[in-house]
Amino acid sequence: MPDPLPPAYTNETFPFPPHYSFPPFFTLQPNPLTRTSQLQSWSSLILSYTRHHRLSTLSVVESYNTPLFHNPSLNRRLPTSDIREILTYMSSKDGGERVEWIGKHGKDGGAGGKCWVYWRRPEEWADVLESWVERTGQKGVVLTLYEIGEGDATVGAEFHGLDPELLQKSLGVLVKKGRAQIFGAGEDQLGVKFF
Amino acid sequence: KYKIPQFQHGQAYLTSHRVCWLDNEDPRKHSVAIDLKDIDRPELYAGFLSSSPKITLYSKINKHGVSSLQQKSPYSPSSTPTRRQSQTRPIAPTPTLGPNATWVCPICSFSNPIPPNFDPATANANTKIPKCQSCGIPPPMVLVVKAALAAMSNRQAKPESPAPAGPIETQSFGTFRCTRCTFENHPSLLVCEMCGASLVTAADKRLEVERGDLDRAESPGPVLKELNLNDDKIESVKLSFRGGGEKIFFERLKGAMVQRKWLLQSAPPIPRPTDSKRATSPRESFERRPSDNLVGIAGLERRGQALRESNQLIIGNAFEDLEALMTSAKEVIALAERFSSQTADGDGGSSEANAVVSALGLTTTKDMLGSDTLYISELSRNLAEFLTDDTKGVLRKEGGIMSLVDLWQVFNRARGGVELVSPADFSKAAEMWDKLKLPVRLRRFKSGLLVVQGRDRTDDKTIASILAWLKDLHFDPPRAEVRWDWTLYGRGVTAQETAQRFGWSVGVASEELEMAEEKGALCREQGLDGLRFWENWIVNMPALMI
Repeated sequence: MPDPLPPAYTNETFPFPPHYSFPPFFTLQPNPLTRTSQLQSWSSLILSYTRHHRLSTLSVVESYNTPLFHNPSLNRRLPTSDIREILTYMSSKDGGERVEWIGKHGKDGGAGGKCWVYWRRPEEWADVLESWVERTGQKGVVLTLYEIGEGDATVGAEFHGLDPELLQKSLGVLVKKGRAQIFGAGEDQLGVKFF
Repeated sequence: KYKIPQFQHGQAYLTSHRVCWLDNEDPRKHSVAIDLKDIDRPELYAGFLSSSPKITLYSKINKHGVSSLQQKSPYSPSSTPTRRQSQTRPIAPTPTLGPNATWVCPICSFSNPIPPNFDPATANANTKIPKCQSCGIPPPMVLVVKAALAAMSNRQAKPESPAPAGPIETQSFGTFRCTRCTFENHPSLLVCEMCGASLVTAADKRLEVERGDLDRAESPGPVLKELNLNDDKIESVKLSFRGGGEKIFFERLKGAMVQRKWLLQSAPPIPRPTDSKRATSPRESFERRPSDNLVGIAGLERRGQALRESNQLIIGNAFEDLEALMTSAKEVIALAERFSSQTADGDGGSSEANAVVSALGLTTTKDMLGSDTLYISELSRNLAEFLTDDTKGVLRKEGGIMSLVDLWQVFNRARGGVELVSPADFSKAAEMWDKLKLPVRLRRFKSGLLVVQGRDRTDDKTIASILAWLKDLHFDPPRAEVRWDWTLYGRGVTAQETAQRFGWSVGVASEELEMAEEKGALCREQGLDGLRFWENWIVNMPALMI
């Protein structure tokens, strides 16, 4: 069971790891061993940061200036090419496959590039949803996706405010498992029924 | 008569003052030098069948029978006019009389000891022989000489006094039967209890043990465990030329000894030109003399004096050129040595001096030595000596490590404007350092940079010294205001700062830093002000955190 997040967490300042205040951390290391260690540290930093701020996606260009990749006190920042390098690492098997690039990889086409950051995977979200359905006794009830994501009933649940696409993905996992069914036409009018 | 295992492969050098022998395996430990002034005469033995040609150097034996051939401290080369190389090995000296030599008195048959300073080679009618201890009658000289020779040929042990060493070996061998009187002695005795004859069979056992250590299976001949030349009783040293070159070496050696004699006994002064003119007609001058003849003693004196003068003129005439060469040779050599020491410092030294220096062959030049490899190996040794010379401190000034190009420049500058070394020869000579086991070595960085450093400097030592310096920076507050926790992380250093701290050149410093980074000791940081290197906290986070 994934551990529940306290909802008020997002208002506190994010505690950066000690690496963050070490200037060489912002330079990609050529030495393979050092580089592996560096990538791992960045990976955990990104995941915890996105988890803290409840970000589901990351855009290279937009996150370049955020405190994630730019340390104002040190005045050091990670260049975009390195950001992409780290995200690619995270999407690989060695990196834990917690990142998924959206659309074209963006390697050749400029500094763009958006990716999903799964600090919690769709499968894990699916489990959360299922346990919530069970807890609230909503089996057999038809709910719209909007209700689940933004409805008043779900305020306080972890998945409240979740990105609709991610929500849909998670529900898709349940559909595959045979625990739910999605129907309806149109983006906003999709409904789901849990078994 | 004995071979020594550690002295099997090496090179012999002949200088104007000594004969040196350099071991190929461990030059620092097993090199020997023999002063020419201690050599009485050399002898050449041309090889026969499987026995290689040898040169024997006999040492001068002074009155007390103690030879003056001693072992010198490790090889220290000096500027030399000639050098010849061949594969040689020295053979151990033949021993002299030990304390156990005895002669048997013909009258009372008591065994008297032969005095230790008695030498059969130099004994003549004037040598004092002590009387027989029991009957008091001095023996005939011949008898003592014969006894001494017999004793010497029987003695096969090490030149040291065998008394302290003997007992250890002979414990295990039962009783000893004396060869002269067949009395069974205790094995630890060295002299027979009954008749006083020396029991030398113990030494044979020792020899047999050592024979097993022979590396060269096909060569006969007993071997000594190690060379102990510090003893006084050495008579001769043999150099065996397995690789050839003995004839030239012998000629040069003889020449060097003759030259020594000339230098020691300073040659008579050059006869002046006026004398030489007069010398062309000594007969006339001599015949003119009688006209001035006075009668009596004065006349006789004058005649004798005239005779002496004419003799001197004749002899002077004959050796005129040779004397001129000898005296001026002495002066010229002194001059050239002075110049060579000047130019080696790198200051001054006019080009004429350098021309003289190279003309006299005081530096290694290509045309001087016939073969290429010989030139390269000699150049290699020259370079190593130049680098490790403490008075100049070339390597020390550069912090113990310098690039090959820098060294090439310094070396050529020290040589003066004449006889520079080409880069190709230089790099070849540098590569031979490892093969010749010299104390400096060539090292190649990942980027291809070649540097020179002492043999005992390893990468780990360099990394340790860099890290120690970086650790100190934890306590030293940085000059500018910095935004990170310098007490925790220290600070980063540039290649420039590193070069300044250790005395290296900047190129060498950046290479060393990159090498340390590759080993994982440092990590890099590319900032706006350049590339800096830090202690690798990425991998080893301080234990305080987390």
